[in-house]
Amino acid sequence: MKDPRSKSFYIAGFILLGIVLASFILSLIWTPYDPNATDPASKLMAPCAEHIFGTDNFGRDTFSRVMFASKYTIFISFAGVAIALLLGLLTGLPAGYYGGWTDRGIMLLSNSVMCFPGILLALVAVAVAGPSMFNVVWALGLVFAPTFARVTRVGTMEIKQRDYIMHAQVMKIPSPRIMALHILPNLVGTLLPATVIGLANMTLFESGMSYLGLGVQPPDASFGKLLADAQAYMTRAPWLIIFPALMLIIYILGLYFVSEGIRVRTQKGGV
Amino acid sequence: MRHFSKILIAGLLVAATAFGFASCKTGNTSSGTVTVGITQEPGTFDPHTVVAAGDREIIFNIYEGLLKYDSDGNLNPCLATDYTISDAADVYTFTIRNGVKFHNGQEMTANDVVYSLKRAAGLLPSSDGTPLVAAFVKVSDVSILKDDSNRIQVILKQPDSELLSYFTTGIIPADYEGADKNPCGTGPFKFDSYSVSQNVTLSAYKDYWGGAPAVDKVVFKICADMDAGLLELQSGTIDVFPHLTKDKAEQLSPEAYEIKSCGSNMVQIFALNNKVEPLNNPKVREAINYAVNRDDVISVTMDGAGVALTTAMSPALGKWYDTSLDGTYSYDLEKAKSLLAEAGYADGFELTVTVPSSYLVHVNTAVELASELSKVGITLKIEQVDWATWLDEVYAGRHFDTTVICLTSDYAPYDVLQRYMSDSDGNFINYSNPEVDEIMAKIPLTTDENEKVSMYHQVLKILLGDNASCYIQDPEEIVAVSTKLEGYNVYPMYVQDMYKVKFKTA
Amino acid sequence: MGRQAGFIISKILELLATLFLVSLLTFVAFSVIPGDTAQVILGPDASQAQLDALRSELGLDRPMIVQYLSWLGGLFTFNLGKSAAFGTPVAGLIAERLPVTIGMSIIALIFVIVISYPLAILSARRPGKTLDQIFSVMGHILFAIPPFALSLIIITIASALFSGFRAGQYFAPSDNFGGFVGCLILPSFCIALPKIAMTFKYMRSSIIEQNSSEYVKNAKGHGLSDLRILVKHVLPNSNVSSITVISIVLSDILAGSLIVEQVFNLPGLGRLLLAGIARRDFPLLSGMVFYIAFITVLLYFAADILGSIADPRIRLK
Repeated sequence: MKDPRSKSFYIAGFILLGIVLASFILSLIWTPYDPNATDPASKLMAPCAEHIFGTDNFGRDTFSRVMFASKYTIFISFAGVAIALLLGLLTGLPAGYYGGWTDRGIMLLSNSVMCFPGILLALVAVAVAGPSMFNVVWALGLVFAPTFARVTRVGTMEIKQRDYIMHAQVMKIPSPRIMALHILPNLVGTLLPATVIGLANMTLFESGMSYLGLGVQPPDASFGKLLADAQAYMTRAPWLIIFPALMLIIYILGLYFVSEGIRVRTQKGGV
Repeated sequence: MRHFSKILIAGLLVAATAFGFASCKTGNTSSGTVTVGITQEPGTFDPHTVVAAGDREIIFNIYEGLLKYDSDGNLNPCLATDYTISDAADVYTFTIRNGVKFHNGQEMTANDVVYSLKRAAGLLPSSDGTPLVAAFVKVSDVSILKDDSNRIQVILKQPDSELLSYFTTGIIPADYEGADKNPCGTGPFKFDSYSVSQNVTLSAYKDYWGGAPAVDKVVFKICADMDAGLLELQSGTIDVFPHLTKDKAEQLSPEAYEIKSCGSNMVQIFALNNKVEPLNNPKVREAINYAVNRDDVISVTMDGAGVALTTAMSPALGKWYDTSLDGTYSYDLEKAKSLLAEAGYADGFELTVTVPSSYLVHVNTAVELASELSKVGITLKIEQVDWATWLDEVYAGRHFDTTVICLTSDYAPYDVLQRYMSDSDGNFINYSNPEVDEIMAKIPLTTDENEKVSMYHQVLKILLGDNASCYIQDPEEIVAVSTKLEGYNVYPMYVQDMYKVKFKTA
Repeated sequence: MGRQAGFIISKILELLATLFLVSLLTFVAFSVIPGDTAQVILGPDASQAQLDALRSELGLDRPMIVQYLSWLGGLFTFNLGKSAAFGTPVAGLIAERLPVTIGMSIIALIFVIVISYPLAILSARRPGKTLDQIFSVMGHILFAIPPFALSLIIITIASALFSGFRAGQYFAPSDNFGGFVGCLILPSFCIALPKIAMTFKYMRSSIIEQNSSEYVKNAKGHGLSDLRILVKHVLPNSNVSSITVISIVLSDILAGSLIVEQVFNLPGLGRLLLAGIARRDFPLLSGMVFYIAFITVLLYFAADILGSIADPRIRLK
């Protein structure tokens, strides 16, 4: 079962994620400058000794802001995926386990949500509960829930056929208990890579929402938000694009490598 | 085989791109067509129901009123050759210009003018009595003079000396249907077509009474946003792009584009809801005024292309503005802190600023304000909402602490200050001072211009004394105009006048 | 055959139910968000009287539920209703934008197939070797860049390389068909890139799976050429996954590629959806969501049917 490639994927993945994680942890105790303090006198400075990543149109230190943004990027992707995963499990497990009308009803709902434009959903979340990061996270979770529901459902349908589940059913163990104790643990192998990929997709989707003004509220920032803001200064201050983009790529590549590592290890032959 | 597929891919890519660019090149704009980039979707072309600034700047070319603004803000005779106002300011009389034809070929008569003004004032039998142009609520009758069929008079229910600027309202043929979708006016350009989120096309009206315009066609091309417009500008598919920011304008090559600018007669306001704790305390509002460094905001949001304001009116309005108020609020953190302490907020407080997300300037202003106000202990939390939400919740619903927005108005002082009357629809900051109400009610009854000037100055002074809100800047109107063109003038209001624009003869 | 018909009928019922549920969701969403069409059209300077007049003219003074039911009723006569903000039939507005969206879908799909298939075949020949590794990492990097950043980077590169390149230029297909196609190439490429990465990944694993199967090993044993095995055996057997992948790709693009349209300033469906949201135009928004749901469900449905024809095992499950 062990594949030497899984180890190198893990190493590469954890090194990349380590960079983002380190900047996040460090930002909690120290940043070179206050990431939100504006200083119009030193705006749009190219990278130099005082500001190694340069400054933005408010004169804020890009290095500090990139560090600061890692916190929100990590939070949004993890919280969003947690919600999506939870909703996906709550719907996908019964759908796959009971089948029949339960399955049809749940999948109908899940397909409808999937067809519904994510932006409209985000707008509704913001309209109902006010524009804040938490509400955006909810919206993101809802947008991604159907994907997890599908994966869970297919996995459950397969595991359900196994002998030990049949045994449990014969022994009249209540269904919720079978789902929680016997099916769920066996789903980890399928769900883990999907979760890691979900983290990456969530980050990308969030940057798209920031582009439309629906994501993190200023002066807070995520990597995606930094990129969206930098667009206006694309030619004038390219450093505003380069550094957040680099961090974003590092983060997402790291997640992909880890997910590849998991897949290679759990699925024989390596895909 | 490996080799083969590589070559295949490369070949296809080259072929695809070559084909693409070659065909893109063939579509250069034909000479005689001027393309203007706009970033708002037109709502209506009806000259009487139109309110959105973005619609007005287009239909300026299609419709004309009895009077018309020029690029210096002067009001000149247009479809009227002259006018008189009665001493009591309750009867306006206009002489109608002869030899003017509508775009449908019909001759314009006094009858059309009466119809149009009645329609705007809600006086047509088919109307429910609601004026389409709100200022015309005071009009009681419009009629052709008995002894002179070439003159019309507008009779008011009560005197109003401030009505003149509203006679720029467009004149349409009597009983004309469909002015909103298929406009027909007397202006230098006639309407061709509108395709949603693509463009509005106008063509030259050869029989224009002032002589045919120099270009054959004007296309108002709708761009997704300023960045998309800028890309088009750089690639040469747009000839004129208004409402630019300075840093964007500076990215353009000076050989290809001339940058024109002028004061915009807009007022960017950090609007403070006068009814909300703790902003209902004038001391708090005063403190905020001292804590804001307007020059820094202008530097960050407009790259310096703005005029700092202290009060509710832009200096672009000339004599109506009171220059003695300039510089009242110097940037003074100590003073702001002590004022806050006096008001009982020495430890500061938290406020929310609700900004429309589609306006980058306002969002950026909010970010800079948040950073500045944090120095006196005020935590400003930024919430972006979309424009429709802003209009509903903030402007109409008045559910907000603070917001940042540009107040636009006609080039008329009454229009600028009317919103500060207690019962005005536009008084979204909930300002209320009986003294202001009283003076504002008196101004329309006054015909003496000097007296009016001093009354306006008085209103401005009271607004300043009450710290109605925090006024930031009059952002400069910046327009990029292709160097191939000449004759374009920037207006201190939302107008894209294409009449005199023409291609330079090389 | 009876079984096949039953399968199709139950799928059609599923499609109708999904469409209804999506329209209900739109209605609920719309009732919750603030703002209205009249306010957006008239802007902040409108008086209450003007707003009321426009509202009654547009039929916005009716209760929301009545507006929804009348829209739903219209559907039975295949009428998507009239846009409140633009005053023209919604179906017409959508049809106007379809050329861009369909054009981009076709071009993007060509890019996806022409690039990802050969790369997948090359990679799968020696899985885990240098070439495979390079392609895989490149695929991940393409995946890791947000679509709008990717579009901006491509515009910048294109402007630097080709002096004739003009971002934001658009020709209507009826005016200049060559120009129309030309202007869609770069945006389609931007849409295609992440999909190329995705398709590459699926195809590669599908081919590797086929290659390790007994019959391919047998065929090799019989001395058949690699190319012959690939064309005759491996690719046809990978069809199930390619049908699925392609239907996912198409449903994504046909639903409107909002951000790419925004960056390239193209009049496609994504921007129409944004315009509908921005103007609080209920008929337009309902029509758009209905169309998007229809395309998405239909393509998944088509993938299921085609898949069941290509691989009868799916049906039997």
